[in-house]
Amino acid sequence: MIQATGLVKCFGDFTALSELTTQIQKGSIYGLVGSNGSGKSTFLRLIAGVYIPDGGTLQIDGQAVYENIAVKQRIFFVADDLYFLPQSSMNDMAGFYRGIYHNFSDERYQKLCDIFPLDPKKKITTFSKGMKRQAALLLGLACQPDLLLLDEAFDGLDPVMRGAVRKLLSDEIASREMTVLITSHNLRELEDLCDHVGLLHKGRILFEREIDELKLGFCKVHAAFPEGIGDEMLSGLDLMQVSRNGSLLNLIVRGRSADASEYLLSKGAVFAEGVPLTLEEVFVHEMEAVGYDYNNIIF
Amino acid sequence: MLQLDLQSRQPIYEQLILRLTELISLGVLEADTQLPSVRTLARDLGVNPNTVQKAYQELERRGITYSVSGRGSFVAPGEGAREILSRQSVEKIRDAVSEGKRTGLTRPQVDEVVSSVYSEEVSV
Repeated sequence: MIQATGLVKCFGDFTALSELTTQIQKGSIYGLVGSNGSGKSTFLRLIAGVYIPDGGTLQIDGQAVYENIAVKQRIFFVADDLYFLPQSSMNDMAGFYRGIYHNFSDERYQKLCDIFPLDPKKKITTFSKGMKRQAALLLGLACQPDLLLLDEAFDGLDPVMRGAVRKLLSDEIASREMTVLITSHNLRELEDLCDHVGLLHKGRILFEREIDELKLGFCKVHAAFPEGIGDEMLSGLDLMQVSRNGSLLNLIVRGRSADASEYLLSKGAVFAEGVPLTLEEVFVHEMEAVGYDYNNIIF
Repeated sequence: MLQLDLQSRQPIYEQLILRLTELISLGVLEADTQLPSVRTLARDLGVNPNTVQKAYQELERRGITYSVSGRGSFVAPGEGAREILSRQSVEKIRDAVSEGKRTGLTRPQVDEVVSSVYSEEVSV
């Protein structure tokens, strides 16, 4: 669906994206995470056709996006800083989008208005931050896009609405094969929702992986060797991190936790317990493994 | 019909496979019963449809379900689900017993636990 090859975007002498290459499949929920200023929003704006790429190519189903009305018809972008026409109500905005998006469905709009507790006749400026988010998502879904871009989409939504939005997204993806690209700093949320995640750092994709593979690919093991243990005894494991505290060992290992604990028990551990890593832990360790000082990076 | 633990470290994909296998082995979902469609289950649980799809494919690969093209997934007849669960139980028992052995439990102590569990079942 989306194919970015060697994508470059500069602002003055600042390089926001440097040769970013990635590919996002149709019907998937792709989560984009990264440090502040890593280029997540820039990438979304390039996909939405707001910016012209300075280098490389960005194609959606084989076509460039910039100034391409046919492609932009199929994309809806819920930006980080929302914009509504001055003095408009939701009904006014729906009228505006109806004129732009051929796919806009009034039936869907009415249904969504029943789901979200918002007054469609009230001026959007009177809405709270979270209600404005809801309004933007509601209008986006009513436009029935093939590609939905969500920049910090869950920001400001209460837990009940988060649940509702997740269900709505699941339904859209299953029924119309909508593709969703979502950025967030809330890794917990992405973990449950996405099927692929990409970690962006300094304008590049540091790594991207399928989420189940990612979660099953690493584990944290806690083991005890009262007799002490030499490094050579750990050689059978693909270690990412080792920390020792007397006879206690804390390991981050590539592989399944059951295999790792079994190996340690066979080497004489009194106990060895492994748990899969959370997405947050994977990212922190993966960034550390490639030499980034993660202490300076805020997720 | 399913409960997932979204706080758990266990991936949703694995939780789905486990829960459905349990329901099938307990006979809650009988042979040839249709499973909810990927769309329905994903929407009800608020999870990614691709994850549900993947879990369904894995269940089919393990022979616990079968699919009819254009109609969805159905529970396969036979003891597939029960066998998988008993294998998992055996593994859990082995782990628990090895841990007990390491902490110094004797064979008779372990036997006592086993027989008390089985006698409970008889009295019920």
